[in-house]
Amino acid sequence: MTIAIPATQAVARRKLGAMSPGTAIVVYTLLALWTLIVLFPLYWVAITSLKEPIDVSTGPYYLPFVDFQPSLHAWRYIFVDLANDTFRPYMNSVIVAFISTTLAMLAGSMAAYALARFTYKPKIGIILLFILLVALVVAAVMHWSVDWRIASASGLALFFLIGRAVAGRLRRSVGNSDILFWMISQRILPPVVAAIPIYVMFQRLGMLDTHPALILTYMTVNLPIVVWLMYDFFVGIPKDLEESAQLDGAGRFRIFFGIVLPLSKAGLAATSLLVLIMAWNEYLLALFLSTAHAQTIPLLVAAQNATRGPQWWYMSVLIIIMILPVMALALALQRFIASGLLLGAVKG
Amino acid sequence: MTIRLDRISKSFGALTVLQELSLTVEPGEFLVLLGESGCGKTTALRMIAGLESVTSGRIEINGREVTDVAPKDRDVAMVFQSYALYPHMTVAENIGYPLKIRQAPNSEIQARVREVAAQVQLDPLLGRYPRQLSGGQRQRVALARAIIRRPAVFLMDEPLSNLDAKLRGHMRAELKHMQHDLGVTTIYVTHDQIEAMTLAHRVALLDHGRLQQLGPPAEIYNDPDNLFVAGFIGSPPMNFLKGALKAGRFEAPGIVIGTPIRGEAANAVAGIRPEDCALAAAGAGDLDAEIYSTELIGDHVLVTCQREAQTIAIKAPKDYSADIGAQVGIRLNPQSLYFFDGTDGRRVR
Amino acid sequence: MRASFSAWSERQADRLFVLPAVVVILAFSIFPLLLSAYLSVSRFKLAAGGYEFKFIGWLNYKKLLFGSEQFHFVGRFASVPLWCWAALALLLYWVGRALLLYLRSGHTSVLGLVGRLISAVTILGIAFLFATTLGQGGQLGSAGVTILYVVVGVAIQFAIGLGLALLCAQRIHGRAFFRLVFFLPLMVTPVGIAYAFRMLADMTQGPLSPIWHGLGLGAFSWASGAWSARIVVMVGDAWQWIPFIFIVMLAAIESQSKEQLEAASIDGASFWQRFRDITWPEIAPVAATVILIRMIEAFKIIDLPNILTNGGPGIATESMTLHSFIAWRTLDLGGSSAVAYMLLFLSTVFSVSFFNLIILPMRARRQ
Repeated sequence: MTIAIPATQAVARRKLGAMSPGTAIVVYTLLALWTLIVLFPLYWVAITSLKEPIDVSTGPYYLPFVDFQPSLHAWRYIFVDLANDTFRPYMNSVIVAFISTTLAMLAGSMAAYALARFTYKPKIGIILLFILLVALVVAAVMHWSVDWRIASASGLALFFLIGRAVAGRLRRSVGNSDILFWMISQRILPPVVAAIPIYVMFQRLGMLDTHPALILTYMTVNLPIVVWLMYDFFVGIPKDLEESAQLDGAGRFRIFFGIVLPLSKAGLAATSLLVLIMAWNEYLLALFLSTAHAQTIPLLVAAQNATRGPQWWYMSVLIIIMILPVMALALALQRFIASGLLLGAVKG
Repeated sequence: MTIRLDRISKSFGALTVLQELSLTVEPGEFLVLLGESGCGKTTALRMIAGLESVTSGRIEINGREVTDVAPKDRDVAMVFQSYALYPHMTVAENIGYPLKIRQAPNSEIQARVREVAAQVQLDPLLGRYPRQLSGGQRQRVALARAIIRRPAVFLMDEPLSNLDAKLRGHMRAELKHMQHDLGVTTIYVTHDQIEAMTLAHRVALLDHGRLQQLGPPAEIYNDPDNLFVAGFIGSPPMNFLKGALKAGRFEAPGIVIGTPIRGEAANAVAGIRPEDCALAAAGAGDLDAEIYSTELIGDHVLVTCQREAQTIAIKAPKDYSADIGAQVGIRLNPQSLYFFDGTDGRRVR
Repeated sequence: MRASFSAWSERQADRLFVLPAVVVILAFSIFPLLLSAYLSVSRFKLAAGGYEFKFIGWLNYKKLLFGSEQFHFVGRFASVPLWCWAALALLLYWVGRALLLYLRSGHTSVLGLVGRLISAVTILGIAFLFATTLGQGGQLGSAGVTILYVVVGVAIQFAIGLGLALLCAQRIHGRAFFRLVFFLPLMVTPVGIAYAFRMLADMTQGPLSPIWHGLGLGAFSWASGAWSARIVVMVGDAWQWIPFIFIVMLAAIESQSKEQLEAASIDGASFWQRFRDITWPEIAPVAATVILIRMIEAFKIIDLPNILTNGGPGIATESMTLHSFIAWRTLDLGGSSAVAYMLLFLSTVFSVSFFNLIILPMRARRQ
């Protein structure tokens, strides 16, 4: 017995620790293979940005200085010749992505916190009334050509009037988990369903091709992710901390901004990175909502598929300058990402 | 500052956690709410703090009704079991937070923080973060944060339960000393009877949401009102024997003991504390039993005897020794016997 | 003034906290959903001084399902081979049995039954759709293509992502490096990925062209073959999204208790046994959730097929979102909304069924 125990431990250590040489070869080969699969496309984009058109069309050439002479002509074209035509979409993307992410984080965290801490009991009747009235307003505007301002205003007025009148008599209500599910389930909604109405809406408001239109849209699209991931973070924060602050005289807003948010840094970092990537790379809604003035960078990349055929070298430059800032940010926030994503995924 | 609880109750749906608790805490008093987990003691404390709404009844602090007043306006400070220190703030920021919220000038906050920190010997640690502190130090930060407000009432929810045994004894003494110095009315929740006995001016023992007995520790120990109190207080707990109490005699199979008590109960329980029992030779005591185990505790030997599937604990002198399985007699001190009605648990006097 | 405002905001805190999110979601989802519903039953016409919408009932849907756009949306039908009928019959039996089991389970509710019926009909419908369109002379429509991307695409992504996570969870050197590298594709814009894969897949000038030449495929163009084009789209999508599955699954594997694994290996369990009996039950709920997220997002695919193949050859790689977008381009707003609504229906049925029938029971079992 005394001999057997160390022996089993030795077996266990070998199994859990160092792999057998055969296993190690398989594992490292597979890892190396996937590393190649991940990096090669990026490498190809990078060297294509240094190629002359002739090098691309007579290719393939793999190694700069060996196979072909690298040139900065594409970089010069994008940064010097195009100049403002590159920078404007780039700045548009920066503005839209950052502001929409900030707003989504703010509104989403507040809602997630509220759902984790307060109790809501909205009446089912009121919700149905609201949907009915919106449907009526839509029908009035589209079908009977009522002015949208008049229709919306009267719809809203009706909602408050009827709502106030019947609220006391309604019994059945939904709870926090239903609201949470409703908010998260908005992510199921394919953007293309909402794209045309949103297009029509912003057109009526004269806001097509503007930053606010894109910012508001992206904010909504990403809100469910924020609510979902942050909810689990907030649920995990001990209530004691907040109650202690409450006894000390702190109000709800103060507790949220002074105690809860600083404690959720990891979650905020992971979630905002994810949302930022989504907003930064978004294509379809930008295609609907922006044409020239507010055009974002993915559209500019897509536009390089010009009449003269795809301009690979220009695209490559644009792709690189699109990836770099996100990568820098992701590197900085890397350690939060896994834990942040996991929390949401585990608890759903 | 007086605190008056007037028949406060708390229920969650059909479940009643606290039933008509009434008590008055005198100015400067240290009152301990004692009970098992789930007895309603923490709920009562949270209701006094305003963190839990009151289902019925009223709460007065210092003559003012506060039943529906927001927690922050009740002038109470609370120390949580988890300490509830803000992990992203330094010790100084933690202690000063209540003042910061009340928008005290910065210079005043700093002065007060230093003053309070000195009081609880935290001055060298003011720049640290909670995670860099030991359990006892965190405990002190939590205390300091309560003290700095100079509240009318201290509320403490098992503040020592996260400390190891040695530190707990030390902090207990500190806490008692500090409360004496500050003279602030304190309500303290614990499940630990030793804490309750050592700290309290008066103990309120709760069970299943009901107040069982309220009184000074000695009274609770020496004069329990009912079977629950008798069984809860004391370690090891009181021994119980089932039998009948009639005409000044307690009778159980194989036991007959005379008693000065005049009360009667057909279904009676006799209780006696381990220190009021003595071991004798088999047949020489009031009852016979078999040794189940002996444990040397230090100043005494705890002897557990078995009799008809019932165990009886006895504190024997520290040099006592006996073999497991040996037959012994047990003598009971008739002056120290308590009698209870076995059906409702009431004390029979 | 200031004090009264703060007192007011404190009283209304619960409402104020959810208000921004609720207003934004209502404005950008309830309203668009209803407007979209209206558009899908109307015809858009340019008229004097602007445009008008004419109510035409369910004609747009009829056109997609049975009319002139049927080939585009549903696909072109072929005769169903015998073995497909057999498979369909088997599926019908299995679905029917599951429904019966539910009816007998004792906790049947009207809502649960209706939901299960919708799920069952959708599954059978999709199976039938594939059976009829995949045969000789048949062709997948945008609905079939989208479901292909969702089901097959996500399955492949999950398998590879989980495999990589298991590899990285071993005691390997340079784990931080691999984790970082494997994460990279998630950050590349899909538009960029589409172009990068167009370059890579170029069979004459692309980096892999020597291999194609060596295989005698130099003259073949993937873009002209329906399946090769679909595969390239799925490869691009997989390249981007495997990292997401990888990172979440790796975190899930790493968060499980080491002691159970150690106990199992002391008991003599092999790697495969340890995975099957200990790791998998532990990470299965995370896996299901990750698959759900990926499916929801996969239904929305547009960038890759639009740029890689422009939906072609023909409509071979056209997803429903792309279909809807193209219809919008041609000012067929009604048709576009109808396609979008069908997509919403499919995506909702899939997600809700998956959540209720797979994730919820899984969670219930763990409690």
